[in-house]
Amino acid sequence: MKVAHYVNQFFAGLGGEDAAGTGPVRLDGAVGPGKGLGLDVAVTLAAGDDYFGEHEEDALAQLLRWLDEEQPEVLICGPSFGSGRYGYACGSFAREAARRGVPAVCGMHPESPGVLAAEGAAYIVPTDVKVTGMRDALPRMAALARRLAAGETLGPPDQEGYLPRGLRRNEIAELTGAQRAVDLLLAKLAGDVRTEVTAAFDDVPPPPPVVDMTTATVALVTESGLVPRGNPDRLESNRAHAWLSYSLEGLDGFEVADWESVHGGYDTSVANADPDRLVPLDVVRHLVAEGSIGSLHETLYTTTGNSTPVATAAKFGQEIAQRLRDAGVQAVILTGT
Amino acid sequence: MAVAPAPPLELATFAVRDVAAGTETELHDGVLTVDVPALEASVAGEPGLIGMTVHVVRPGEPVRVLNVLDAVEPAVKTDEPGTTFPGALGALSVAGAGRTHRLDGAAVLATADFFSAYDVTTLGVYPDGDSFVDMAGPAAGLAYWSATHNVVLSFTCDSEAPLAEADASIRRTTLRVARDLAATTLAAPPEHLKSLDLPAVPGDLPRVCVILQVASEGPLVDTYLYGRALRGLVPTLLDPREVLDGALTAGQYDWAGVRDPTYFFQRSSLLRELLRRHGADLCFCGVILTLAYLPSAVDKERSALMAAKLARQAGADAAVLTTFQSGNSHTDTVLTCRACERMGIRTVLLLAETNGGLTDHVPEADCIVSVGNEEELVPEWRPERVVGGERTWTGRPARDAGPVPAVTYLGSLCQMGDMRMRAVSW
Repeated sequence: MKVAHYVNQFFAGLGGEDAAGTGPVRLDGAVGPGKGLGLDVAVTLAAGDDYFGEHEEDALAQLLRWLDEEQPEVLICGPSFGSGRYGYACGSFAREAARRGVPAVCGMHPESPGVLAAEGAAYIVPTDVKVTGMRDALPRMAALARRLAAGETLGPPDQEGYLPRGLRRNEIAELTGAQRAVDLLLAKLAGDVRTEVTAAFDDVPPPPPVVDMTTATVALVTESGLVPRGNPDRLESNRAHAWLSYSLEGLDGFEVADWESVHGGYDTSVANADPDRLVPLDVVRHLVAEGSIGSLHETLYTTTGNSTPVATAAKFGQEIAQRLRDAGVQAVILTGT
Repeated sequence: MAVAPAPPLELATFAVRDVAAGTETELHDGVLTVDVPALEASVAGEPGLIGMTVHVVRPGEPVRVLNVLDAVEPAVKTDEPGTTFPGALGALSVAGAGRTHRLDGAAVLATADFFSAYDVTTLGVYPDGDSFVDMAGPAAGLAYWSATHNVVLSFTCDSEAPLAEADASIRRTTLRVARDLAATTLAAPPEHLKSLDLPAVPGDLPRVCVILQVASEGPLVDTYLYGRALRGLVPTLLDPREVLDGALTAGQYDWAGVRDPTYFFQRSSLLRELLRRHGADLCFCGVILTLAYLPSAVDKERSALMAAKLARQAGADAAVLTTFQSGNSHTDTVLTCRACERMGIRTVLLLAETNGGLTDHVPEADCIVSVGNEEELVPEWRPERVVGGERTWTGRPARDAGPVPAVTYLGSLCQMGDMRMRAVSW
């Protein structure tokens, strides 16, 4: 079994905070905590915490090149405990390794930013916030690594001792949903409130208001499935895999002959009778002409928001927001259906 | 106010342990024999249909049934067979009282490929997703009807006739075949007779109602109460025995896994569980039928308030909220939850998840049953035989459909709680 181990500058023995800017380093065999894993660590890879944070792309590229050369059966990162920068590096490297087919195990505190950075691609063993948790963490990480290297499929997180990776897997329960519902309801009436689903929603702080709309550039973005008639780019009616953009130059509104909604989640007949009902291009043109709005960003961003997994929707949002920011847009009319 | 004590519903159950094609339609010693040519001929003259072929499929056979519209449990009213499925098939009468014979372990499945016969995209709302029942392979058990002995009716529509007409004929014929199969027991002494009663309950047991959500948006996406589509429904109070006895029928073919086929109304695990516990640890105070997929925020809020108000009028301390489909309807469910909780009615919700996501949520929804993750892929399976067409609604080849999401299997994530699936964190 061939193991690669990632640590930061401190645990690699390169120095403390003064060495946090150190670029990626490759060392033979086990170093520092790697010696306590009880595994055959072939190579230790390290980088300074600041270096990784400030040159993430370069650091990852170098670390992944070494991983390619070594072809380990498993990558172990950390443990990084409660450390933010180190945890982030561990989670990011583990994620990229796992996506390239090298299973990865990290050890960190559940509130470390590395948990989010791993995006569920790597297995994370929860550890203490402090380095005194080393003795407890190493054997648990090693046990998971051993099984992953052997190609085993791990069981559920609570049994195997890793943090849930954000997946929801189906299983067959002992009782029907109906029986469980009645049991939960009677328990709730007796003061014992339990749930099988915990909803987690982002709390999005609103940006500050636009100071002067008469000079602002406004963009139109929609999830209503509005596309040129005939749907030339084959936008899906549900579970969209992409967002699309279309030029608005020369258009005073969305003509029925030229535009339609392909959304599969609502009755589109009223919308398709006048597509400006989905995205108010006609009104915005009018407001620009009378001077109430500075200008219109001449690109429409569109997708279908229907049965879209949250992660996909978040990615679309980030990508579109980046374009808007790059184009100097100050406000967006975002129409949902 | 209690649900007024009504005459009990007597259910006689006849077990079916095999199904076969034969020269007569009869139930003998647990074997349901079906006269296939006679059954196929019986569809002549039904408007909008070119024909119907009949297949029998059994649990464990390497068969995939696809393009499944509905599943119905064979049932007949013994005192007045002509009132079976009142309004939808038989003469109008109030369901839920008198004696009903039902065939346990058997089902009638209806299949049709509307997508080949019509351009369904011209409908404002049209069914999406495929609809399978696999009798073996990795998905056996995902659909309830993997485990029943099935008489499959495959309809061919006349593309010259209006689609709604063909659909009406399919629904009527499916219910008629279900009634006629159960009618083979009319002369037989009732087996396993069970009386479903809702006696007044003394004491202070918690009063529990069900807020049963369905959807009705137009042809191919309608649910029917006593034969009429529920479009425009104001929340309505029903006796649970009406639902179990054929008052509600399905005509909604969107997203197979998260809809409620007629069979689930007839056999509702939730209603039977509450009837079973009535008088023991709760008092079952009624079923409030309500709609999802309402088109505006005002419509949703209005319906939620009226459902909650009706629950309060029924004296409910607590309510089980079911959900129909997902996405849009999750908003209807959580708004109804909030309206109930604000009136002091405690709630539990049944919801299907989409890869860890709920479309909408309110803080009051603190008690949710997961019926599973719609999106989890089921490994590919190549059946030896397919029934219901050579291509699926979404255009996949029937024998080579590849891995499909769990929601492809009829009723697999039923949000009335009839199945045992749930999603857990990994």
